[in-house]
Amino acid sequence: MNVLRWWGGLLLAFSLLVLLRVFLPLPFANEIVIFSIYAMGCNFLLGRIGFISFGQPAYLAVGAYAAAFYLYYFGANAYIGLLIGVAAGLLVSFVVGPLFVRLRSDYFALVNLALAVIIYYLMQKVLADITHGDNGLWFLTNLSATPVLDLSSPNEFFIFALALAFVVWAFYKYLDDTVYGACCLATKANEDKLRFLGYSNFRIRLLAFVIANTTTALAGALYAVYLGFVSPEITSPMRAADPVVVTLLGGAGTLYGPLVGSIAYTGMKDLVSKAVGNWELIIGFGLVFIMLAGEKGIWGTLEPILKKMLSRARIFAVTGRDGADNP
Amino acid sequence: MIDPHLLASGIIFGLSMGSIFFLMTIGLSLCFGLMRVISLDQLLYYAIGAYVTYSLSMVTGSLWLGVLGGAAVGGIAGFAVERLVYLRIYQRDITFSMITSFGMLIGGVGIIKYFWGLVPRPVPVPITVQIDILGTAVPAYRLVVIAIALLAYAGIWLFLNRTIVGKAIRAGIEDVEHVEGLGINVSRLFTVTFIIAGSLSALAGGLHAPLIMVDPQMGLEVLAFAFMVVIIGGLGSIKGTLVSGFLVGQVVSLGSLVYAPLAQMAPFAIMLLILLLKPTGLYGSPLLKR
Repeated sequence: MNVLRWWGGLLLAFSLLVLLRVFLPLPFANEIVIFSIYAMGCNFLLGRIGFISFGQPAYLAVGAYAAAFYLYYFGANAYIGLLIGVAAGLLVSFVVGPLFVRLRSDYFALVNLALAVIIYYLMQKVLADITHGDNGLWFLTNLSATPVLDLSSPNEFFIFALALAFVVWAFYKYLDDTVYGACCLATKANEDKLRFLGYSNFRIRLLAFVIANTTTALAGALYAVYLGFVSPEITSPMRAADPVVVTLLGGAGTLYGPLVGSIAYTGMKDLVSKAVGNWELIIGFGLVFIMLAGEKGIWGTLEPILKKMLSRARIFAVTGRDGADNP
Repeated sequence: MIDPHLLASGIIFGLSMGSIFFLMTIGLSLCFGLMRVISLDQLLYYAIGAYVTYSLSMVTGSLWLGVLGGAAVGGIAGFAVERLVYLRIYQRDITFSMITSFGMLIGGVGIIKYFWGLVPRPVPVPITVQIDILGTAVPAYRLVVIAIALLAYAGIWLFLNRTIVGKAIRAGIEDVEHVEGLGINVSRLFTVTFIIAGSLSALAGGLHAPLIMVDPQMGLEVLAFAFMVVIIGGLGSIKGTLVSGFLVGQVVSLGSLVYAPLAQMAPFAIMLLILLLKPTGLYGSPLLKR
C-alpha cells in the first residue's frame, strides 16, 4: 500500500502527460518534457539548498555541446551522445562546484550568470572554428536509427524522454526521503546548527550542485538530440531567467512544480510569441508580476487546496457525511 | 614585443572602458550596500540613458545635452521603479530582488524595442580632436570620459563624506537599524540612493553611446562585465568598484592586444582567481545578510 502511494502521484502525473500527448502537437509535448527536466535541477537548487542559480543555461550548453560535438564530428549514436553530454555535465560541475558553493548565495547567482555568459562567448567567438559560431552545429542527418527506441524520430523520442523524465523524477522524490534530502533542507534553514550536528555544509551543497547540474546537462543533451542542432543561442543571457521563471511559476521546492511550471510557461510563451512580436515585454514584466504577487507559484498554491479536497472526500467516504463541518 | 604606441593607446582605451564600467556598476554596488538588493535594472537605465542621448543629440545636435537628459531620465526611471517595485521587496530574500530586477531588465528591452525599434543606431562623437600623448595620437573624447568618471567618483566621495545625507547613507551601509533609530527617514534615503544610482548608470550609457552603436540588447551585452566588476571589487564598496572597473578595463583592452579572444575570457579568469583568494571580492565586507 505504501509502495503504491509512493509511486501513485508520479504515475498519475505521467499518465496525465501521456494524455496530454493525445491533445497537444508533438513538438509542444517534447518541449514540455525536456523543459521540466531542465527546471528540475534549478528547482532542486532553489527549493532544497536555497541557492538560486542564474547560470543554468551554462550547464545546459555544456550538455548540449558535448552531445553535439560527438554527434557532429565522431559518431551517430544518439544514446552515446546523451551519455557524453551527462558525463560532461558531471565533469564541469565537479570542477566549478567546489569554487562556487563556497560563495554566499548572492555571489553564487552572479558567478553562475557570469559563467553562462562566458560559455556564450566561448561558443560564439573563441571556439568558432569548431562550433561554427552563430550558425551552430547541424547534425540531424548524421543521426542513425538507434535500437529499442529510435531517437531520431520525434515520436519515439517523446516516449524515451518521458521515461527518462519519470526516472529523474523518481530519483528526486527518493532523494527527498533520504537523510541527505533532510540535510539539504537543513543547510538551507540553518547552516550553523547543521555544522554543529557534525555535517559538512560544503559537501552537502557540492553534492546538490553536482546532482542538479548533471540533470541540467542531461536536459541539454536531450535538446541537442531532439533538435539535431545546437547554437550559442542556447546559453544566451536572454534565456538565463527561463528555468528560474519556470521554477517560481510552478512553486519552488515542490515536487510537481517544474512540470506545472513548464506547461504553463511553454504554453504562455507559445501564445505570447504568436500574438505579439515583442515577447520580452510580456515575459519580463510577467516575471516582475509573479515575483510581486506571491512566492508560492501555481503548484504551491494548488497543492494545499487539492489535499484538502482529497481528505474531505476520504472522510465523506468513511462517515457518509461531509467532513468540513464535523471534523 | 608590443609596439609602445599601441600600448599607450591600449592603456587609454582600457582606462576609458574602465570609466564606463565604473559608472555603470556604481549604482549596482550602492544599492547592494545600502538596501541589500541586487539591482540588475541599473543596466536597463544604462541602455535607456544611451537611447535618450541618441534621440536628444539627434534633435538638439549636442551630445552633452543628450547625456544630461539621459541621466535625468535614468534618475526618474530609478525613482519610479523604487517606488513601484522595490518598496515591496526590501523585506524579502536578496535573490528575490535579483529575479525581479532581471525581469525588469528583460521587460525594458521590450520597451526599448517598442519605442526605438530593433535597428542599432550610431551616435556621432562630439569631439573628434586627437591629442598627442608621448607621440601617440589619442582621441580626446576618451580622455573626457575618463575625466568625467573621476569627477563622478570625487563627487560621490564628497557627497558621502561631507553632506549629512551622504553620511546617513554611509551609516546605513554599516547598520540600517541604528540609522533608523536615530530618527532618520531610511525610506527616503533609499529613494535618494536609487535616483543617484539610476542617473549614474544612465550617464554611463550616454557617455558610452558615441563609442559603440546603441542597440536594444546593449544592457544585456554588458551584463557579464558588470558582474565581473562588482564581484571583483566586492559588492557595496565604491572604492572597490573604481579599482576593479579600471582593472577589468585594462585586462579587456591589453588582453585583446595580446590575443583577441582573450578580451572576453581573461576578466573571468581574474574573477575566479580573486574569488578563490578572497570570496567577498577585493574590498567587499564580510558582512552577511541582514
